[in-house]
Amino acid sequence: MKRYIMLPLLLLWSLTALAAGTQYAMRVDGLACPYCAYGIEKKLNQIEGVERIDIDLENGLVTVDVREGVEITEARMLQLFKDAGFSYRSMTRQRL
Amino acid sequence: MKQSSVLKIGATTAAGLLVLLAVVWLVWVPSPKEPAYVLTISWGGLGSGAGQLNEPTGIVVHEGEVFVSDARNARIQVFDVDGRFRRQFGGKGDGPGKLGRPMNLAIHQDELYVADYWNDRVEVFALDGTPRRRIGRAGSAPGEFSAPGGVAVAANGDLHVVDFYNQRVQQLKPDGRFVSQRGESGRIGIWAGEFNYPTDVALAGDGTLYVADGYNDRIQVFAADGRFLRKWGGPFALNVHGPFNGWFATVTSIALGPEGNVFVADFYHDRVQKFRPDGTFLTAFGTPATGPAHTAIAVDVDADGTVYVANFDAHRIEKWRPGKR
Repeated sequence: MKRYIMLPLLLLWSLTALAAGTQYAMRVDGLACPYCAYGIEKKLNQIEGVERIDIDLENGLVTVDVREGVEITEARMLQLFKDAGFSYRSMTRQRL
Repeated sequence: MKQSSVLKIGATTAAGLLVLLAVVWLVWVPSPKEPAYVLTISWGGLGSGAGQLNEPTGIVVHEGEVFVSDARNARIQVFDVDGRFRRQFGGKGDGPGKLGRPMNLAIHQDELYVADYWNDRVEVFALDGTPRRRIGRAGSAPGEFSAPGGVAVAANGDLHVVDFYNQRVQQLKPDGRFVSQRGESGRIGIWAGEFNYPTDVALAGDGTLYVADGYNDRIQVFAADGRFLRKWGGPFALNVHGPFNGWFATVTSIALGPEGNVFVADFYHDRVQKFRPDGTFLTAFGTPATGPAHTAIAVDVDADGTVYVANFDAHRIEKWRPGKR
């Protein structure tokens, strides 16, 4: 009986692990103005595979979750933030 | 060099700097000529229910009703002048009548014009919320927009649209055909007639156009025929920001009062500043911010001189009356 319970659980765990995406956290200056923040959101939303965007005004932090297989490069972010009128500082990434 | 000589040079330099500061203060930091306005009521609060707001970014008052861009809820909410909820329309999307991020608003001949920052167009509604038409599309060609932030409508129906990322103000016919533009497409500049992320516009009855030149921290004024007339905001209005009277740090909205006075949302200083049409500073008022964001992002003035302000930080609408002398 135990085996019958464990098998679906293992299957579920492996599917979740395989579907895990990546979270990027980017430090940016000057986020308090919504004209800037909305500009960033707009541009990030246009990237294929972006699933969630969070903008932390207090800490100047933009967090983006992307689905499995999608990669955001630092060069792309540099350009994106420059186009949005921002000073991009740094980026970290972690598996979800 | 003797110690006394060094002291003399130091004292002379310090005195010179003090004189310079005094001159700067006298020339570029005017005193108020009117008392500050008084907050009478406010309404709203963070949320997505009827009457609640999530980041209000635009406001216009018209015949007893206050229309508010409820940006993160992607809708327009309408209140009476005492803050009672009346109706809402819009909703998230890019189809007809849907909104992305509604910003500054205008009303002309019983139609509401919404600058939609995300959908790169001006969405036009009847005042009851019925979608009428949309003007423009994404791009940088004439008649196209990259994040429009505000709109004003002339007596003949021509639109003046602030095109934020294209660094220009476009004049369009009512059907969207291009007429002319101020500023060079995609080029940031600080000299007269150039823009640095403009955010809003207001039109006087004679066609004079007032532009909130957002990141240049100044107001620019143009004649009806397009000629540059004047600018103000800090020393020489050349992108020098500061917390003093008549200076700005990111202007996000502009409106004209019944006597032609100019009201400017000075976002990073959490205040509205009031000027004569020639740029003479009159007074300033606002609500201090409590969070990381700032307060006064959008402003409009009723026919009786009451000022309505969208408080971005508190997700509220504020109603201000002129203070007594």
